[in-house]
Amino acid sequence: MCKAGRPDMKPAYPQAGSYPQFADLVDTERSQVDRKVFHDEAIYQAELRQIFGRAWLFLAHESQIPGAGDFVRTKMGEDDVIVVRQRDGKIGAFLNSCPHRGNRVCMVDAGKKARGFICNYHGWSFGIDGRLVGTDGKVYDTDPDFEKHAITLTPVAQVASYKGLVFGTFDPNAPSLADWFGPFTWYLDVMLDNDPEGTEFIGGCIRSEIECNWKFPAENFVGDILHAYWTHQSGAQAILGGGVDLGPQYDERAFQASIYGHGIETNLDKTGNTKTLGYPELVDYVFSQYDKAKDRLGETRARMVGAISSCTVFPNFSFLPGQATFRVWQPKGPNKIELYTWTLVNKSMPEHIKELYRRGTMMTFSPGGVFEMDDGENWEYCTKANEGWVTRHQPLHYALGISSKIDAPDLPGHIHRGSLNDANQRYFYTRWAEFMRFDNWSDLMTAETAPPAKAAPGVAAE
Amino acid sequence: MSLTRLCALADLGPDKITRVEVEGRSPVALALADGGAVAFDDTCPHADESLSQGWVEDGRIVCAVHFAEFEIGSGKAHNAPIGCGRLRFYPTEIRDGAVHADLAD
Ligand code: FES
Ligand code: FES
Ligand SMILES: [Fe+2]
Repeated sequence: MCKAGRPDMKPAYPQAGSYPQFADLVDTERSQVDRKVFHDEAIYQAELRQIFGRAWLFLAHESQIPGAGDFVRTKMGEDDVIVVRQRDGKIGAFLNSCPHRGNRVCMVDAGKKARGFICNYHGWSFGIDGRLVGTDGKVYDTDPDFEKHAITLTPVAQVASYKGLVFGTFDPNAPSLADWFGPFTWYLDVMLDNDPEGTEFIGGCIRSEIECNWKFPAENFVGDILHAYWTHQSGAQAILGGGVDLGPQYDERAFQASIYGHGIETNLDKTGNTKTLGYPELVDYVFSQYDKAKDRLGETRARMVGAISSCTVFPNFSFLPGQATFRVWQPKGPNKIELYTWTLVNKSMPEHIKELYRRGTMMTFSPGGVFEMDDGENWEYCTKANEGWVTRHQPLHYALGISSKIDAPDLPGHIHRGSLNDANQRYFYTRWAEFMRFDNWSDLMTAETAPPAKAAPGVAAE
Repeated sequence: MSLTRLCALADLGPDKITRVEVEGRSPVALALADGGAVAFDDTCPHADESLSQGWVEDGRIVCAVHFAEFEIGSGKAHNAPIGCGRLRFYPTEIRDGAVHADLAD
């Protein structure tokens, strides 16, 4: 340091490594997952590097930041980022950390029409494009060695949108967002493209903390509808006046689909999820839109729009079609998450329908919501109990439906019959293990979780 | 009054501020506003940063560094950090497609 040479201020994107010893904790032969993955600090640090340092992570909905300078703050793994609309209409994302001493440059959660971000410590000032525009001309500009143009907030390496949803990755070598999803977009479109005018988030972001490992909620949404029968029984009775019943619609007209660890479980009952929001008017509305959705998406997907269904986009972005709650399980150490939730609606919906969705999601899936509380308690005890010294050596069972895989040429991805199944959770952990094992994208994109080739996945088959 | 030629009118663009070095004095900034060219000190009265990094918005010049806003014409400062003075504007004239300004004290 005392040699005092010029600094190299280029943004740095950390490289991935390989952790076969952690990958082996997922035993695909026996459909088992080692309990260590839920509490071990070294594994958690490896997740930050291997998964959150590379994966495309959900940042925002375009509707949150319509105009130049509009921004939201969020997390990518444990890194704080600012997502901001540029003057040319594109979306940029930057680490919320000043390259001088590291202080955050943005303190608020969201705002409109920002002109830039000024660091509170020594006043360095950054444009909405992340570039250092000034310090205090009276000091730095008199230093002949100061290279202002070389300094910038670290840009998130790639930012891209899919039908209104904005994602970012810290890996400059990550495949495009479209490749990252692969044919999984066919399922995302159930929510994102059932109406020509597209979607928006309404009512802001609700944040809360749950003392659980981030993978419990992610695996729950990727394919665990089984728990609803037991966990949500009393809540459902209170709202619906009757219990959750596991009738034939979970078996005959239901499936799980998985692609690159992203997964959706669904039945085809049209409005099962929407019903649990507690407003008959919403159920009528979803029925009234069915024919229109069917023209756009075909019968199978139109039936999914309000159905009992849940989805996780690997690693930690989840939503419930029908209930319209979208969320990110932000990791905060191995045994804590911060949960960010939003409500997604079609732009074309009448205002009072949007309002019912907003209230419905608040009453069910928010810190004060009936179902969120049901789930959160279970995930907290799963996390804590798994930590016991002897307990952590015991096997866990992920084997429901191991022989239920079907070809289903009309449905993209790995398909299992019936939504009461651990299949998507097995694929989720297989994907997790692939991220632990592989240090490069060509292995990651051709591994076991990659979608099987199908003649014409999608609409043609309807 | 004595006019100084600053640059070709064609060099100015909407939504940008152009900085011009002038022999023997501090740089001058030019912008398109009110259907013509306006000239003012490029050096922000707050902390000496260049206003050419800023932009024009709703009849004001906005400094990109700490976001002080200066009314075009009067130079009165709004939303400015403490101690920020008024911005000085200069009368302009277009001759032969070039922007000239009276930079006399
Ligand atoms: S830490 Fe940001 S200006 Fe010093
Ligand atoms: S330098 Fe212009 S507002 Fe501070
Ligand atoms: Fe649940």
